[in-house]
Amino acid sequence: METGGSELARPALIASAAAPPRAAWRARGIALDRYFTRVAILPTFLVMLGIFGMPLAFSFYLSFTGYAQGQGLFSGGYVGLENYEDLLSDPVFTGSIAITLVYTAAAVTAEMVLGLGIALLLNIDLPGIRICRTALIIPMMVTPIVGALCWKLLLDPSHGVINDWIGEPIVWLGRPDTALAAIWIVGVWQSTPYVMLILLAGLRSLPGEPMEAAAIDGASRRQVFWHVTLPLLRPYLLVALLLRTIFEFRAFDNIYAMTGGGPANSTMVLSMFTYLLSFVRFDFGLGAAASWLMLLMALLVCLFFIATIRRREVT
Amino acid sequence: MAQVVGSKRKRRLEAVLVYTVLAVLVLAFVFPLIWVLGLSLKTRLEIFATPPLYLWWPTLENYADVLTRTDFAQAFVNTLIVSASAVLLSLFVGVPAAYAFARFPFTGRTFLFFALLVMRMLPPIAVLVPMYVLFSKLGLATTRFSVVLADTTFALPLVVWLMRGFFEDLPAELEESAWIDGASRYLAFWHIVLPLARPGLVAASILCLQLAWNDFLFAAVLTNNVTQTLPVMMAAFNAGDSGVDWGGLTASGVLVILPVIIFSFVAQKHLVAGLSSGAIKG
Repeated sequence: METGGSELARPALIASAAAPPRAAWRARGIALDRYFTRVAILPTFLVMLGIFGMPLAFSFYLSFTGYAQGQGLFSGGYVGLENYEDLLSDPVFTGSIAITLVYTAAAVTAEMVLGLGIALLLNIDLPGIRICRTALIIPMMVTPIVGALCWKLLLDPSHGVINDWIGEPIVWLGRPDTALAAIWIVGVWQSTPYVMLILLAGLRSLPGEPMEAAAIDGASRRQVFWHVTLPLLRPYLLVALLLRTIFEFRAFDNIYAMTGGGPANSTMVLSMFTYLLSFVRFDFGLGAAASWLMLLMALLVCLFFIATIRRREVT
Repeated sequence: MAQVVGSKRKRRLEAVLVYTVLAVLVLAFVFPLIWVLGLSLKTRLEIFATPPLYLWWPTLENYADVLTRTDFAQAFVNTLIVSASAVLLSLFVGVPAAYAFARFPFTGRTFLFFALLVMRMLPPIAVLVPMYVLFSKLGLATTRFSVVLADTTFALPLVVWLMRGFFEDLPAELEESAWIDGASRYLAFWHIVLPLARPGLVAASILCLQLAWNDFLFAAVLTNNVTQTLPVMMAAFNAGDSGVDWGGLTASGVLVILPVIIFSFVAQKHLVAGLSSGAIKG
């Protein structure tokens, strides 16, 4: 539907064929005005359908077939729910769900706590604080795969600087008990700045009056923080929390660069598992099933996020 | 801005405390990159010295090596082509849509808008599996074009979300008076709205460029040795464990991240809006 009544103020519509070409063009443009919205939306709609909707629909189909590379597009035999059953009875897959959830929870928690702490510090009015802010957002700008490779060198068992400080040749990425923790540190290093920036924007936008009023009424600074600042910051906290959950859930680059899912599957997150199934074992049917299960889990968080910002469009 | 309150002495003490904590944090966050920058300026012997060298005479030989490698130049050009095309495609397709979302109510607007958000949020690996199969059937796999299309799945929603915000902030009077003066919607959009939205267009392009430049997963699956982008090439350095060429890896790493860091600083003002996909205006 178009905005109503826009055609009323259009005397130019009566431009005749005798009008100069420029004016005729204009008249034609105005005659096409009622299609404007459709014309503007159509390309986006087509691209979405073509590179997103269609592949997802196709992957839904694939997930019910025994597809292998080299087969025709729709020649994989129908296998019903077999792919899903195989996955759910595969301990590596169920294990990877657990690892993904643990990793996501640990990374998001650390990022939120650290991000909030740093945002509060950076919000204090002191000279030179902008330089600190700029320095602290650099890790977020680094190409993730490069950042992870840098950390791999720092953590190198024999030549890494971290082991030199500790004085022990710890094989950080080669031991099931330390590999995920190492990846967690890199993730927190990369993504805390995101949380910090969002929360800092939130703190900057808060009205000053409620804090002042509470301080005048004799509230201690801790009380002001817990009972005034944090509740006011809630929408920003929620946006940061949900966005980080969505993005940590699909973590891939760091793990690919640092461990590839090993050792002993201890860092096998869902993205990595699906990647290996599809592009190393080339079992696209099973890969599609795994990606659909992952999609459904991500969709839950995503819909929650949408419900949150729709309820209260944060500006 | 929170003010430090209290007596003068207490205030000074607090400032010292805040600076100390911030200095430690800055050091912890920046150290890995400084160290890698340092490694890239060492000779092979210096890199593997035990204990590690903290002071040495810097050398540019690793950079000279990397810059004369043909595969690095090729990957650099590929990355540039892929990122620029993804940005242009997303802007071309997404900006008119963002304008329509901001100004004209139409059926399905809310649904379409949030569908775009979902597109940005879902795990890329989930789209990549079927995309790869479809692209190989179409003969597009291992081409740069396939990576451009894949990157667009993330760049396009970002453009639409960011630009909608910018268009909503523009006053509508200017376009409206142009319509009354007889300009069509198309003309008014092209000649009045777009020039006004230029700062937004710059911010959106930089954020998309950053996204496409940094993408690893799509490029890793959809390219080969000839069409690979820089992040894919970087990962290939990693192939052997003890045989890793630290000098080459660190020097090319620095060269890969330098452009992104520069872009990001240029667009610093808009980073928050970009990070939150427009859910928060920075």
